[in-house]
Amino acid sequence: MDMELIQQIRDKARNLLEEGTVEGVIGYERASDGLTSRPFFAYDPSDTERLIFDETCAHNLVKYLLDKKSKKIAVVVKPCDSRAINLLLNEGQIERDKVFIIGVGCPGMVETNWNHKSETLQAKCRSCQLSKPLVYDFLAGGELERQAEEETYSDIMEAEAKSVATRREFWLEQFGRCIRCYACRQVCPGCYCPVCFAERLEPLWVGIRIAPEENDLWQTIRAFHLAGRCIGCNECERVCPVGIPLSLLNRKLEKDVKELFAFQAGLDPEEPPPFATFKKEEILEFEK
Amino acid sequence: MNLFASKDDLIRWLDSLLQKHIVVAPVRVQGQTMFQPISKVEEVIFDFDNTTLSPKGWFLPPTETLFSVQRDDGKVELVPTLVEHDAVIFGLHPCDAKGIALMDGPFLQEPSDALYRERRSRTALIGLACCQVQPECFCTSMGSAPDDPSNVDILLTEVEDGYIVQAVTEKGKALLPKGLVEYKGKVPTPPKLQTVPTKEVISAMRELFNDPYWEQLADRCLHCNICAYVCPTCYCFDMRDYADKGKVERVRSWESCQSPGFSLTAGGYDPRTTKGERLRQRFYHKLLYFPEQFQDVACVGCGRCVRDCPVNIDIREVISNLQQVTEAKSGS
Repeated sequence: MDMELIQQIRDKARNLLEEGTVEGVIGYERASDGLTSRPFFAYDPSDTERLIFDETCAHNLVKYLLDKKSKKIAVVVKPCDSRAINLLLNEGQIERDKVFIIGVGCPGMVETNWNHKSETLQAKCRSCQLSKPLVYDFLAGGELERQAEEETYSDIMEAEAKSVATRREFWLEQFGRCIRCYACRQVCPGCYCPVCFAERLEPLWVGIRIAPEENDLWQTIRAFHLAGRCIGCNECERVCPVGIPLSLLNRKLEKDVKELFAFQAGLDPEEPPPFATFKKEEILEFEK
Repeated sequence: MNLFASKDDLIRWLDSLLQKHIVVAPVRVQGQTMFQPISKVEEVIFDFDNTTLSPKGWFLPPTETLFSVQRDDGKVELVPTLVEHDAVIFGLHPCDAKGIALMDGPFLQEPSDALYRERRSRTALIGLACCQVQPECFCTSMGSAPDDPSNVDILLTEVEDGYIVQAVTEKGKALLPKGLVEYKGKVPTPPKLQTVPTKEVISAMRELFNDPYWEQLADRCLHCNICAYVCPTCYCFDMRDYADKGKVERVRSWESCQSPGFSLTAGGYDPRTTKGERLRQRFYHKLLYFPEQFQDVACVGCGRCVRDCPVNIDIREVISNLQQVTEAKSGS
């Protein structure tokens, strides 16, 4: 653990709470296994001693800002998570002056489960090109040198080369395991509809059957709703209790949006996502 | 009397059970360990930590059609779903067996749930004692044990070269293969587990209903349904009618108290709108309401919710926090 970095986070958090700049600080603390970490909400200056930061702090805390819109809140933000800040600013879901961003340089997160910590970096971290958050008010730990692999989408292209029937078979098997716990939705910073389509009765989009055909519909609409909006934190895949490789879907859409619109979600707080804009020059010639 | 089955005996036994039963056993599916009906014995895995999902789904499937109504030539017919096969669940750990025994409370009290009752009476449970436990396990604090035979029909305990076979019920005895010899060796000592105190906490819970603790705890809760769906005792469900040409099906699916629509009434009123109220319901149902109705806490200490919660809401820690809150209150 980088104690210097942690001290900087604690000092800043304490300072913000003592001065009354914010009502709360969302960061990380040690989990009940004594090994990994979990989100932590500090409201009292003395709580800030519990804050930590290390390679197990995978959670994207930006999601919680949606629960705390009425308050001024500080949040610990990794480079990848900062894209979620930009997404939510861009979509008018949070107000910049209500959020104090404690940015952290990030060495990459390792694969973890409760009481298990591997040495392996998460796939998203291996290809992460961000040396510091894109947006912050205070940067703890400074900028970090990163030796990132290039995102080649080789697994996506491999999948694209397969027949529709093969791909359908693959996904029906994957979605067959889905138990519709909606953890993928609940953890996603881009999922904030007041009533999710999965819960709407009128019109009815998808039923309650936990079965391949309906899971398929749920998962497909979920992924499409995030096309051009998914910021690649991969929290959905990380929390899935039955190991569905959601990043394959999300990254396929990311790749398509990149190719079609030269756009990646959350990199720029000003540029709106392609599906929230209309540009005349984008009119495509449809086949007759 | 304890019997002994060699590993080969066990394989042959499972093979013979497969002739007349559906055998549900732990198998590996795409990196997950699941209880599923098997077609051949080779699929079964014997050495596993607690499975991804508990075997409760055999009795309360994630989704099932309760009955359908068909209309044909002006005639309307109600077609119930039938349970047509005898089944054996093989290899469930004592905690999961206790989970099933706890579900009997709500599902078998009159008027009992016909599908659950049928499946339960036509299914035998062959349990597997735990030789090793995980850090998230706490079954001994919840009235069970790694070698608890009380909720299975037969309990197997792994020993060198085979298994001790303990037929617990008449149903179990009827399933035993012929020719097993008596086991005269030592019965292994079950692994030790950590203790979570529950009794005092539960008696004090009523006083903590309006405590700010729940909203604080709920700050990090995502309100997904993981804890409820991996839990061997969570049994809430939703129902909906699916209408198609000439046919209506009544479908029931798992649902959880963490869902936004769970307590929403037809008139639009929702008695549990905050995150804290919803999360509190989970623990009150498990630790207070269920025992009041069915005389036992609705937790078996399998540790799946501890293992899988994305934000580490750890029921053991909640219990110990409640204890601290109670002590602080009585001290002040």
